[in-house]
Amino acid sequence: MSGRILAIALNTFREAIRNRILYLLLVFAVALILCAQALSLLTVGSEEKIIKDFGLATIDLFGVLTAVLLGIGLVSREIERRTVYVLLAKPIHRAEFVLGKYAGLVLTLLVNTAIMTLCFVLLLVAKGIAEPAMLLAVLLLFFQFLLITAIAVLFSCLSNPIVSCILTLALYVTGHLLWSFDLLRARVAAPWARALCLTLQRVLPDLAPFDVKGMVVHGIPVPPERLGYALVYLVLYGGAVLGLACAAFQRKEMQ
Amino acid sequence: MSGAVALGAAPAGRARAGASVGPLRFVLAAALCLVLSIAFQAEFGAAGRGTATAPLLYLPSGRYLQIAALGFDELLADALYLWSIQYYSNYDIADRYDYLEHIYRDVITELDPRYLDPYLTGSMIMTTEAQQPEMALRLLDKGIQKNPDQWILPFEAGFTCYQTLHDYTRAARYFDLAQAVPGAPPIVQRFKAEMTRRAGDIRDSLQEWAAIHDAATDEYVRTIAWNHVHDLRVQVDLEDLKQAIALYQDRTGQRPARLGALQTAGILPATPRDPEGRPYLYDPRTGVPSYGGLSILGR
Repeated sequence: MSGRILAIALNTFREAIRNRILYLLLVFAVALILCAQALSLLTVGSEEKIIKDFGLATIDLFGVLTAVLLGIGLVSREIERRTVYVLLAKPIHRAEFVLGKYAGLVLTLLVNTAIMTLCFVLLLVAKGIAEPAMLLAVLLLFFQFLLITAIAVLFSCLSNPIVSCILTLALYVTGHLLWSFDLLRARVAAPWARALCLTLQRVLPDLAPFDVKGMVVHGIPVPPERLGYALVYLVLYGGAVLGLACAAFQRKEMQ
Repeated sequence: MSGAVALGAAPAGRARAGASVGPLRFVLAAALCLVLSIAFQAEFGAAGRGTATAPLLYLPSGRYLQIAALGFDELLADALYLWSIQYYSNYDIADRYDYLEHIYRDVITELDPRYLDPYLTGSMIMTTEAQQPEMALRLLDKGIQKNPDQWILPFEAGFTCYQTLHDYTRAARYFDLAQAVPGAPPIVQRFKAEMTRRAGDIRDSLQEWAAIHDAATDEYVRTIAWNHVHDLRVQVDLEDLKQAIALYQDRTGQRPARLGALQTAGILPATPRDPEGRPYLYDPRTGVPSYGGLSILGR
């Protein structure tokens, strides 16, 4: 990482940690994780499962919300405030600006996820149900946040925050439903429709590899190839999205 | 100028008064609305909620809920399971069992098929509360199919067949399934042996109990197994002797004078002895063999 990207990343991180939305999300997430303990009192058996499910789902949901809500305004806000002109007047490549912004948000998400995970692990330790597999699930969730952030940054380069938010959330939703294209393909007869289903399944982001919450909660070992696949997919697909984001920002006319 | 000040002072004073009274009015109005709302809810809340089962009509199958869950299937299953416990604990809802199978079999366990508690709790509600043991067995069968590595589900199904349906053959089959799962506790084998006996297969049951006796490391289990082996041994021996006596009578036209005659005639390879090592009693006048001791288990 070049010094310029690092400087932009650190600056983005500083800016993000001043954002009230981040704290609001974090406080809600921590409160919800701790609420798992209260919820577990309502059940018959499965107290352990409810605490784990609830904790992991909270980290997942609030991590994605943080990625989307901070990511969508990352570039567009700079343009709106015209602070981007100050930066681009310096000897900085536009791609470095985008990558620096992305890296700054990744750093923010890392801190955010670490705090949520710490609360979750403390609760698990207090209940005597801590398992290393939980951290593996959180790691894969973090990979998912990285991909969502890249998508949010791409839309932030292309559009305003509201449209970016809708599109990013739409891709998040479809990213968890790609398996349904298999069902759809089996139902449609026209070859072009089947080809379309297959193309969409390949082109849209697949978020299923990052979701091992159910496996770790039920004590099913996560095969190393699953982790490897998720990592390689993140690098390739995330790289493609960030490449598009850089290209989009490169072509953007600043007035 | 002073007039202007005097004229200007009056509105300023009113504005200050308005600023201090205004919010108070709103707070009082809000409090009044809140009190009325609470009273209204307390009085007419039941009408607003509709019938107890009404919300269930909108609960689709777990297969469709999976789509809406967006990767949070387990969390949704947890939420519905928690809700179901509260719902089925409410004895004021008369028609609460109308969608019982749908809730547990088609929704919760469809969202998270490896979640064991809904199978166990659901089947318990079906059996003991709704008096629907066959429904409970359908739920447990699904659990067994989805979780072949869990002994507790076939064990629970076996227990339902044993205690509620008194179908011992079916119970033995479930206990056999549970026993085949690695990690199943020894009590499963004991249940299976007992169900086999109750189903009428005393020879298999004897073999089971003998195997339990030989493998037992615990003195308590060994004693229990021995009691069963003892009584079953007597039952099996007496049955063998009765069959051999009948065969002897068919061949010779008369009852044997003593039990040893069965061995001499080549009908039995050896004359059996009771578990204490004594010969069985025999009355040549009636042709009925008997045991000289007492049944340990009183059967």
